[in-house]
Amino acid sequence: MQPLKLNRIQDFRLPMAVLGAALTPEADLLVTGCMDGVYLSDMQSGESRRVAERSSYVSGVAWLLNSQQFVSAGYDGKLHWFDRVTESISREQQVHQFWSWDMALSPDQRMIASVTGQYLAGGYRYEPQPEREPSVVLLDAQTGTRLFELPHVPSVQAVCFSSDSHYVAAGNLMGEVRIWDCHTGELQANWNTEDFTSWGIIKSHSYLGGIFAMRFTPNGEQLILAGMGPMRDPMAGNGKQLWQKWNWRAEEPNKAAEINKGEAGEGLMEALAIHPTRPVFAMGGRLRGGDWNVALFHLDTGERLTTLKTGYRVTGIEFTDDGNRMLVTGTQGQPKPNKEGQWEPFGRVELYEIITG
Amino acid sequence: MASTMSQPVSPSSAYCGSPEHTFHRRMILQGVPAAGLAATSSFAGLFSVPALAEQTRKQGKKCILLWLCGAPSQFETWDPKPGTPTSGPFAAIPTSLPGIHISQLMPQCAGIMNKLGVIRSMKTEPSEHFQGIDVLTRGEKPRPPFTRPILGSVIAEQLGQLDSPVPQFVLLDPCPEGNEFKAFKAGNWAGWLGAEYGPVRAGGEYSIPNLLKPETISQLDHQDREGLRSFLSRKFANDQRSDAAAGYNAAFNRVQGLMSCAPLFDLDKLPEADRRRYGGGAFSQHALQARHLIENGSTFVMVANGMPWDNHVYQHEMHQMLVPELDNVIFQLVNDLEERGLLEDTLVIAMGEFGRTPWLNEARGRDHYPNAWSMMMAGGGIKGGVVYGSTDPLGIDVAEKHVDQRQLFATIFTALGIDPHQQYDIPDLPAFFHVEQSAEPIRELLV
Repeated sequence: MQPLKLNRIQDFRLPMAVLGAALTPEADLLVTGCMDGVYLSDMQSGESRRVAERSSYVSGVAWLLNSQQFVSAGYDGKLHWFDRVTESISREQQVHQFWSWDMALSPDQRMIASVTGQYLAGGYRYEPQPEREPSVVLLDAQTGTRLFELPHVPSVQAVCFSSDSHYVAAGNLMGEVRIWDCHTGELQANWNTEDFTSWGIIKSHSYLGGIFAMRFTPNGEQLILAGMGPMRDPMAGNGKQLWQKWNWRAEEPNKAAEINKGEAGEGLMEALAIHPTRPVFAMGGRLRGGDWNVALFHLDTGERLTTLKTGYRVTGIEFTDDGNRMLVTGTQGQPKPNKEGQWEPFGRVELYEIITG
Repeated sequence: MASTMSQPVSPSSAYCGSPEHTFHRRMILQGVPAAGLAATSSFAGLFSVPALAEQTRKQGKKCILLWLCGAPSQFETWDPKPGTPTSGPFAAIPTSLPGIHISQLMPQCAGIMNKLGVIRSMKTEPSEHFQGIDVLTRGEKPRPPFTRPILGSVIAEQLGQLDSPVPQFVLLDPCPEGNEFKAFKAGNWAGWLGAEYGPVRAGGEYSIPNLLKPETISQLDHQDREGLRSFLSRKFANDQRSDAAAGYNAAFNRVQGLMSCAPLFDLDKLPEADRRRYGGGAFSQHALQARHLIENGSTFVMVANGMPWDNHVYQHEMHQMLVPELDNVIFQLVNDLEERGLLEDTLVIAMGEFGRTPWLNEARGRDHYPNAWSMMMAGGGIKGGVVYGSTDPLGIDVAEKHVDQRQLFATIFTALGIDPHQQYDIPDLPAFFHVEQSAEPIRELLV
């Protein structure tokens, strides 16, 4: 495979942290879920405006109906369907009592999956309590009808669909992964990897971490997980930058590969994207130690192909449909207000051109 | 004057492991039958005349300190700022006090705000844990080479019963690696008051070696050896005028007392319904144990759990779990003490060493912030239904009624019937007072 390089071609800021983002197929318009609502941005000019406020953080967004509508999920547990033509919310639905940690739209645009769960102390060692509400909810993307309520152990922090929209996978705080058939709601696979979860040996006796992003491989045979390796002190945030690839269809799901030793720095990884045409995937997050926080990897060999050091925490990565560009979104630390009481913008949006050779 | 000269050691210092201030719950429990002492699960069982137990139980005021080490966020507890850039993701909910809102993570406390006293205008200086812990547990910055006693030691000395077999100052903290206390020696706790006012430490797997009586030694032999040790130690202390020897004697006496009341430290002996009500986490279970110890004769119980509140990363992911646990603990404690007729005489305090920043860092955490933070008190001479002081709309600074650690300690001492301006009466000690600079208590918070 020819070497890849990333060349930044766009860079602009939004007022507050970007937690979710989606490009239109033409890559001309960006919708972002931020700490203070939903923004639309012109990718050419970088001009942005807030089109919807929310009572809490917005965790995920996705385009629907040929980009005439988008849906957003938030820490208020609600989904909003927003009509671009009328510039108004066409439907609001309380899906969870607690946060929507993550939301995914099926590739056929027929289903939305949203995951929730509050981590509450269940035992002396702070094992999570059982769920108090369904942790995974599958909805009809057009009508909002609840199709399935699927059980998991809170908190469930990541969700994704297979490329054929047949399966939905969800991962939690404790590193447990469950995969269901979207048509029947039947559990297809269930396993646990403890490699993403910390139990605080020092400072805090509780669990922290878990799986923060997941994607099926294009052939649907494997599932890639992202997060951070365990830490003795969970407050340090210095676990290993980590991805793992799992053969989920095996009778006993097994780990096929993980990030190569020596290629991982430190920091939580919370974004994954599969390239539409090449055997490449991207992972990104926070740089705590090392020299990169976004990297491209070979889908088959796991080889690290190229890296970025963005200077901010990456919360989202997306390849354009033509595969020529890569969107990176995230946030810097929230600055203190200036002397005039104004807050400098700290949400980040960057677009990179992917260059071969 | 070894005890007056000792200083808090740095966190990296080696831990001495002395039985003066550490006990392993399991070992204590195992030691009881071996020692052939009374196996009793209540204070009354320690006395041959029940009336004496009742009289002792009723003496004086008591205190439970829920030590929120690491420093909780005021935005996610007592002083939410909904709809602002500093709010965080959680909403605010109304309370039983008209116009007062607290975090949605505290629905149970919201319902009993009429019983709680909250200060929203704490403003202190230290912004690092070790210094903050020192100031907020002692009420004053260090003045080397003297070591001011920690709050629990002062209260144990002022209100406790030294001849009680039940330890007067107990620290329940199962996470020894978690906070600065791991490195504390006896003198670091009680300072110039002397080792006998240091805490008995228990909780979880916190352990020291060699507390068990070896099986090869008979009970009679064990008692003879203890008698000889006691005689020689007292003789040495008298002959040499050694404070250190006196301190060790106090510690050995405490061991003997502890062995006699070991069942009080056994979580398994607490009613199952109570344990479920308090919740499963170590902090909740030890809060229940604190209530049990207070009911049975302890004067000051400090409940900690390492340093879980120091959420420089995953602020909201951790607070979503920690705050509901705290909410339930406060609710259960206050109601339990009230139902038992103990709330009037038992002060419950919930606080850390400072607050958290209004702004989020890149790791979605909040950092240390002493400029404007909150804490809570209830019962024991504190007026319920009072929210004292306020912060500005973004929670960046105190807007009115700034409270520092001296005013806070003056309020705590006064609520407990201790004169905050009393001078320590210790030979060779410079003029030190319970609270320095004649700081006045907050009258609005006192009953």
